[in-house]
Amino acid sequence: MFNLAIWVYLGLALTLFGSLATVWGPGVKDPVIRTINTEVASVGVSLILLTYNSTLALLTLIATTIIVTLILFRAISRLEEMGADV
Amino acid sequence: MVASVIPQFVPAFYSSMYTTALYGGLIVAFIGLIGIAMEKRDIQILILTDLVGLAMLIVVAAVGTDLSEALILPGLVVELAEIMAISEILISREMRKVDEGTSFTPMPLKIDMEIMTTAPNFIALILIAYGVFLSGFTGGAVAGGGIVIYVLSRKVRGLPIFVLDGVGAISGISWCLWIIGFIFFFLLPQYWLLSLFLAALGLLLKVASKIGLIGILMREEYGRK
Repeated sequence: MFNLAIWVYLGLALTLFGSLATVWGPGVKDPVIRTINTEVASVGVSLILLTYNSTLALLTLIATTIIVTLILFRAISRLEEMGADV
Repeated sequence: MVASVIPQFVPAFYSSMYTTALYGGLIVAFIGLIGIAMEKRDIQILILTDLVGLAMLIVVAAVGTDLSEALILPGLVVELAEIMAISEILISREMRKVDEGTSFTPMPLKIDMEIMTTAPNFIALILIAYGVFLSGFTGGAVAGGGIVIYVLSRKVRGLPIFVLDGVGAISGISWCLWIIGFIFFFLLPQYWLLSLFLAALGLLLKVASKIGLIGILMREEYGRK
């Protein structure tokens, strides 16, 4: 019923797609869009960790992804507020 | 070539997927590094660093053993600390360039209430007590949060230098406790409970003092008038 290989391939494809979208995707000159695009890749990595039975790693990845996104948004908004070149 | 070094207890599925996952991770890392090479602005490079970290996770997870899962956790924490530090450096550098009255932690309101000077004692006490009860990494984070609340909300300036040194010394001693606990695990396995508590309490002191130090340094650096 479950073919585990499908999920690894799906996770790898999502990660690949997300990284391509982060580097060359539409509108990535805006750092907010670029930050959100990295989420796609991180969902792909979550799928891979889920397939490999790494529960602790999966939970830590979700937590750190949220914190990293918050830190990056704070940095972006502060830099834009000060009129820096972002 | 790979098959000869794989231990027997790795499930067959993981070892059959190893090459695919490894090459996938390497391709993602390559794409991220190309993006870093093409970008000029610092904040964009910082965002792309995240991508290379994800590729590192795939490469480590592809091994598929418990050890690889245990190695992912410090990788994630180090990546988080690195991004936090670099974003603070970018912000403070920009603040130096602008050089006007921008505060490091902007508040929408000017908060001047009595509760901000009286309540932190109680909240910090509760948090530190709960953190000591939890012990380990989580307890250290909770107790460190209590210290940060105490340090940041009370407007006591100019902590004596020997207090800072003392906090650093606590951190070093707790590191020794942690290492001793770890050695006991291997040399005297019958005292596993003692070594477990040595490691847990050492880690508690270590993390709590480190987070408290970060709070003290932030106040000393940016709270200065």
